[in-house]
Amino acid sequence: MTEQILSSENVRLATRAAGRDDAIRAAGRILVDAGAVRPAYVDSMLEREGSVSTYMGNLLAIPHGTNEGKDAILRSALSFVRYDEPVDWGGEPVRFVVGIAGLENEHLEILSSIAMIFSDEDAVQALVDAASAEQIFELLSEVNDS
Amino acid sequence: MTTTSAGSKKPGGARVAVQRFGSFLSNMILPNIAAFIAWGIVTMFFIPAGFTPNESLAELVGPMITYLLPLLIANQGGRLIYDTRGGVVATIATMGVIVGTDIPMFLGAMIMGPLAAWLMKQVDRIWEGKIKAGFEMLVNNFSAGILGFILAIAGFFAFGPVVQALSNALEAAVDWLVALSLLPLLSILVEPGKVLFLNNAINHGVFTPIGTQQASETGKSILFLVEANPGPGLGILLAFTFFGIGMARATAPAAIIIQFFGGIHEIYFPYVLMKPLLIVAAIAGGMTGVATNVVFNSGLRAPAAPGSIIAVLAQTASDSFVGVILSVILSAAVSFFVAAIILRASRKRDLAKEGAGDLSAAIAQTEANKGKESGVLHDLQAGGVAGGAGLVGEGEEAAFERKPIHTIIFACDAGMGSSAMGATVLRNKIKKAGIDSVDVTNKAIANLTDDVDLVVTHQDLTDRAKRQSPNALHVSVDNFMNSPKYDEIVFLLQSEGVR
Repeated sequence: MTEQILSSENVRLATRAAGRDDAIRAAGRILVDAGAVRPAYVDSMLEREGSVSTYMGNLLAIPHGTNEGKDAILRSALSFVRYDEPVDWGGEPVRFVVGIAGLENEHLEILSSIAMIFSDEDAVQALVDAASAEQIFELLSEVNDS
Repeated sequence: MTTTSAGSKKPGGARVAVQRFGSFLSNMILPNIAAFIAWGIVTMFFIPAGFTPNESLAELVGPMITYLLPLLIANQGGRLIYDTRGGVVATIATMGVIVGTDIPMFLGAMIMGPLAAWLMKQVDRIWEGKIKAGFEMLVNNFSAGILGFILAIAGFFAFGPVVQALSNALEAAVDWLVALSLLPLLSILVEPGKVLFLNNAINHGVFTPIGTQQASETGKSILFLVEANPGPGLGILLAFTFFGIGMARATAPAAIIIQFFGGIHEIYFPYVLMKPLLIVAAIAGGMTGVATNVVFNSGLRAPAAPGSIIAVLAQTASDSFVGVILSVILSAAVSFFVAAIILRASRKRDLAKEGAGDLSAAIAQTEANKGKESGVLHDLQAGGVAGGAGLVGEGEEAAFERKPIHTIIFACDAGMGSSAMGATVLRNKIKKAGIDSVDVTNKAIANLTDDVDLVVTHQDLTDRAKRQSPNALHVSVDNFMNSPKYDEIVFLLQSEGVR
């Protein structure tokens, strides 16, 4: 189940983003391409970011839609992008952008695992140091399994 | 050092438990006092012994006490456990208890209501998040309906025999005490039984038969006055009139008229349940009354029902007026005295406590919460956990002024992202601290209700969350992943003795 929500092709590496909104669009596009959300959801992600930042701390941001934007979600999915250069997220440095589309509470399990990883600074460092998208996906999955 | 002082200053587990139980009972009863008063007024006026007897309107009396009051209590008790859904199931289930017995089932409502709601919550957990989209309404309504049905049947069969057994046990105990001439000790059984709304069962099931037999032999019986003496209730209500707070104080004078002249003792039971220690006052008053009648060898010719001072005097045997009147006055005086001490001693704490009653108290509470949030929590933050040893005392005090923390909700706009992550991180920290009685979940702010104890939100959303849950303690964070506030919350739980 968790594999379906975060699949390996939704984990990407990127060098840099032009800015926060650009990074949100990139995270949203992966969800659209995966068939998880309609394009309108990306707009609601941008709208949501405008009201409250989704910067979570420890180099992580988790852009997602508004309550109203839930209508544009087709199935629960996550996208995961690591940037080589920090993205300026309202003044905070972000290296990891996790796009979230959640229906009911299907995605909470994997989101919890991600939260656990990112609350551990050593684990964050391992993700920063990971050589490939595959390695990142493995690091994320390992925590899932345990 | 921090840990040792935290260990030695933790509030006693039993004390906290009694405190919680008492406040739960009063939270179940208090919002419904208006219904008790309405019923008391109806009774006082329209029953045959009332001020303006009216046969048709008197028909209100039975259904109100049999159905309305217990169902309101059950609904409130259910809501406290599990929102509206809990309230509905609690009400259905209590209907079975009511129909299955033939006395007003307040006790049954107070047990079955919360129990039914709790069971509903557990049942919902089984398929939480597993219902196909679009079927939630169907599944939710049927699961609640079916559970309510089952519990109503269970209540129908379970409670009747329990109440009957209680009556039988009381009757045996009374026989025994009468045989040993230890009559004043009766009050130790009778007064707690009364406030649990077993008064009719005790009076008509136990004292009336035995007393009637005595009266047929000697012309009077002291037993008719053990339960019906309006003195102890009068004393307690007088104490509330002078030393109570909030709604309890404001309603006490009206309750006195209904209780003392109308003879509706039920009206004072919620006041005792609100503060269970007051049962000591009721017992002391009751014992005084019985002892006085023993000394003066006074009694009634027949049962005084309702237990109004008017009905009591009407039934007083011609040689017993001095003893009976003295027994009422002295028992009122003693219970007033004891109740006054109890109310005075806890007055300050009650004023700060939630559920003290009226609107002004609720507002004061909200302000107190705000003050505490900026006070206790911010101080904790400033001092850090290590420097927090001196604040354990403050945390301990807070545990009694505010209801203890059982539920923590992380709230954000959509309830799917940041709040879920924050909840996970805090849940993990709380687990690591060895606390497992606290529920940490997440929600969209729009779905927040006011039955949660602590709400954590991003600082930009805290104002919105406060409007949704004015009575909760609010904590704002600016960083969900590793906020220093999480350690403070864990520390607050520990200092409150939450496990």
